[in-house]
Amino acid sequence: MKMMYGMLMALTPAALWSIYIFGPQALVRILAGVVAAVAAEAVFQKLTRQKITVKDGSAAVTGLLLGMAVSISTPWYAVSVSAAFGIIAGKQLLGGFGKNLFNPAMFGRLFYLFVFPDSILPWRQPFDLTTAATPLEVLRETGEAAGVPIHEMFLGLIPGTIGEVSSLLLLIGFAFLVYRKFVRWRIPAAAFSVVLVLALVAGHNPLFYFFAGSLVLGACFMATDPMTSPKFPKGQLIFGAGVGLIIMLMRWYGWQTPGVYEFTEGTTFAVLTMNLFVPYLNKKFKPAPKK
Amino acid sequence: MPESSIIRFLSVMAVMLVVGFGWFPIGLARLKKQGVDESAARTQVKQEAKKYSIIAAFLYMVAMVSVAGLFI
Repeated sequence: MKMMYGMLMALTPAALWSIYIFGPQALVRILAGVVAAVAAEAVFQKLTRQKITVKDGSAAVTGLLLGMAVSISTPWYAVSVSAAFGIIAGKQLLGGFGKNLFNPAMFGRLFYLFVFPDSILPWRQPFDLTTAATPLEVLRETGEAAGVPIHEMFLGLIPGTIGEVSSLLLLIGFAFLVYRKFVRWRIPAAAFSVVLVLALVAGHNPLFYFFAGSLVLGACFMATDPMTSPKFPKGQLIFGAGVGLIIMLMRWYGWQTPGVYEFTEGTTFAVLTMNLFVPYLNKKFKPAPKK
Repeated sequence: MPESSIIRFLSVMAVMLVVGFGWFPIGLARLKKQGVDESAARTQVKQEAKKYSIIAAFLYMVAMVSVAGLFI
């Protein structure tokens, strides 16, 4: 429970920054995610005669992460429906907190990408909300990891999903989680290492790949979910490396829904795909009992 | 909510239901064959069916998002 409230505290600076740069519409989307996730969990547990556990904060974290992982152009109801789906299908169907296979926020986000793909666009510039391309879209079009100053990406002055834009505030929140020992730091460490190596091999600036999309939000806050990530150090390193690798492959080669939207970021697919391997990684890398 | 979104939403539900209910008799028969008690087998298969329906929904959505672009 402490960990979930710690997570909410860690995400708050980045959420507040997004409200500052994108305006009250960002708050509406964040609230739509949190309220829908908490309500969906409470209603499902009530209907299935289970103990209502919304006070543990995990549903609120799912809703907040989803609210931060959508575009400012997305209608609020799309965030709410996706959050409710993430909670019910991604978490409650398998028995609730601790028994889920997929990260519920990421499962909800995949649902959002599938059901509401045309609501992602247009991306909007902070403050004036004019239409703009994200740094990763620029990369896809030009083939060059340049054009957007790194400091603007780091501070959060770029178009993107509501909560991913300020890497600085996300990293401060993550540092708090590491300090309180609430997260498995090896996962983001491995993900960032793979991104670093691949960027250097491609001859690009690794900082661009660190701060351009949702790598920080995904690797530090979503991939580290204790229920859907490996328990043991070696498994965590492989899990994190897999997340980093899939994200980079998606950024370079991408997937697309023809005529609707071309995905230039792959955090959702990366985390969910690696979630599938968690039972295997836990089994494979379980340390031998000490004699 | 746009019509295409409703169709997509219903299609995910359909995939989950087909896989979940489809797996139930198959899994039950398999466990019974292994000599597992009927009530224990039902509980286990119910959990398996839910798990496979969620995995099917994941694979379906990824496939649709990435290659097909259907229901537009």
